[in-house]
Amino acid sequence: MNTKKNSATDNMLTWVAALVIAAAIFYGLDHFVMSIQGLPLNWDLTPAN
Amino acid sequence: MGTGLSFPAKPFRLAIAFNLLILLAAVFMWLAGNGQFGSITIANATEVVAASVESGGVDAEEAGAKPVPAPKLTRADYPNIGTSSRSIVWIIAQLHLFFGALVLAVPIFVLLIEYIGFKTGDDRYDDMAHEFMKISLTAYAITALFGGTLALALFLLYPGFMNYMMQAFGAQMLVYALLFFLESALLYMYYYGWDALRYGNKKWVHLTLGLLLNAVGTTLLVVANSWATFMMAPSGVDATTGAVVGNIWEVMKGPLWNPLNLHRVIANVAFGGAIVGAYAAYSFLKSTTAEARAHYDWMGYTSNFIAILAFLPLPFAGYWLMAEIYAYSQQMGILAMGGILAWLFVVQAVLISTILFAGNYYLWCGMSRSEGSVRYTWLIKYIALILTLGFLVWATPHNLILNSKEIAALGGSFHPILGPLGIMPAKNIAVFLMLIVTFLSFQIYRRSNREITVSWARKGNALLVMIYVVAIANVIFAGVYYGYFTNTVYKVGSSVIQVSSTLVVIVSGVVIDSLMFRGSKLLPSTWGKVTNASQYALFALPITFTWLMGLMGYVRSSVRSHWHVYTVVKDNSADNFIPAVGHVGMMVTLVTLLFLAILLFIFWIANLSGVKQARPEAMSVEGSTA
Repeated sequence: MNTKKNSATDNMLTWVAALVIAAAIFYGLDHFVMSIQGLPLNWDLTPAN
Repeated sequence: MGTGLSFPAKPFRLAIAFNLLILLAAVFMWLAGNGQFGSITIANATEVVAASVESGGVDAEEAGAKPVPAPKLTRADYPNIGTSSRSIVWIIAQLHLFFGALVLAVPIFVLLIEYIGFKTGDDRYDDMAHEFMKISLTAYAITALFGGTLALALFLLYPGFMNYMMQAFGAQMLVYALLFFLESALLYMYYYGWDALRYGNKKWVHLTLGLLLNAVGTTLLVVANSWATFMMAPSGVDATTGAVVGNIWEVMKGPLWNPLNLHRVIANVAFGGAIVGAYAAYSFLKSTTAEARAHYDWMGYTSNFIAILAFLPLPFAGYWLMAEIYAYSQQMGILAMGGILAWLFVVQAVLISTILFAGNYYLWCGMSRSEGSVRYTWLIKYIALILTLGFLVWATPHNLILNSKEIAALGGSFHPILGPLGIMPAKNIAVFLMLIVTFLSFQIYRRSNREITVSWARKGNALLVMIYVVAIANVIFAGVYYGYFTNTVYKVGSSVIQVSSTLVVIVSGVVIDSLMFRGSKLLPSTWGKVTNASQYALFALPITFTWLMGLMGYVRSSVRSHWHVYTVVKDNSADNFIPAVGHVGMMVTLVTLLFLAILLFIFWIANLSGVKQARPEAMSVEGSTA
């Protein structure tokens, strides 16, 4: 029973970690791509100019 | 085990030569791309002449006397042949471009396939590459025929314009002719020497011949591209008189040259893949043995893979070309995408959606080759849904063709709800989502016949899924937020986010899968076990590609409006107007049908060359009494 619960928790943690990594990649990508075009963004991805 | 080949000194030296040639080509292209050979536009042409005089390189009188102004053509300068000269040149030029694209593209992927066969030691790759070259070889003569006819037609029907083009490009003509001789020699050596240079050291010689063939072919392409781009965005000419003042390199390297080079190289590969895919489908459908079906099924899959893989980066290359057109002349850019030619980009959207549907459908059918595909078939309906929605958004126009009553009923010239789907941000979202799900189709197809055994499979799959989900969300966010709620500069810049997100999905998908496939179990997969309907998807691809090329060729020519050479040589012929869309439809369909008819002839010839009639038993021999 405990093993099943641990497995479900592990599974959820894996998915959450994957989501966080993917979100970080694309968040960084957005900032990078816009800044090299001279179009800086705020932390909330709104235009800084 | 590898290829079973050893690497004694001689092939090693040939390998170095082979790689140096690639390096040399890359350096040349980098230098050219960075303007190391200089560039000159209309704006600074007079400064260049003045600088040449000042530096003593050109005598002032000579500088003043030499440049001949561009001709001011009148109706009398055009021969009247009783029918539209433009229509004749249009048909011949378009057919030449179709066959030219085919014969330049096929050697590119043939060389790659041959190299894969060489490295893996698998003769199937080598045999398939050889068979692809057979089609290209037959098409080569037809390409040359149309090219020669085109040159004749241009000189006969547009003598004034061609006289000016010879002033600009005269230095190049002999070079072009010599390149053709070289191309022919290399092509024949490459094809006919295939079996003689099959293994060991000789295979390196053969690969080098293939590389040289591609180098010469690509040079021919970029040389010819310079004529088309000069006509659209002339460089190396005097702004006032249109006289050619720059050297041949300055005339060639206009602002549109490299964007068109990139676009045409990639598009040619996609087109070539689609054409040989049709050949494979044709051969599959007439196969009578399981072995032949398996061979042509595999050939069709490889062709589709090449076509769609080359097709994926095409929107980016096209975007660059259009951005450069806008940068060169806003008027020309607006004519293309905001004015009377704008509707053609809706037609283009329909054709590209057709290509994506056909390519995806072929992959879904192909999944039936492996029983392991059952794990992934549930995704197909969602991919189909996104493709359908993307197509619908892409086909939605912004400006509607309405009369005054309809405008009054609608409350404006744009639809109140669907109007926002007619502008670029919505189109970008649609096309990038379609590209992402097309890659997904590829990915699930590749996974169909594998059982992944790495210990981190669950984590790897979770990361892949999240990359897809977040990328799709990012593409939609960038399109909606920056497209509708910020200023124009951020709107245009956000399309690069969408491009990058799509590329991240593709690159990460390939990398993660490659790592996850290590030590994977191969499930049974049967080549030849695929529906006949899937082969018709392989017919749909080249037909759509061909029509699309014809349409875009019309757009490229028409953005010049009433100019032979934009703002330099005015078109004063009887055809100095942009033809109506209805007429265009008929012309493009005509050239497409002509091309397909000649292509069927080429396929038939390619098959015929492999047929050997058996000698009849009762055949009498001269002098015998049988």
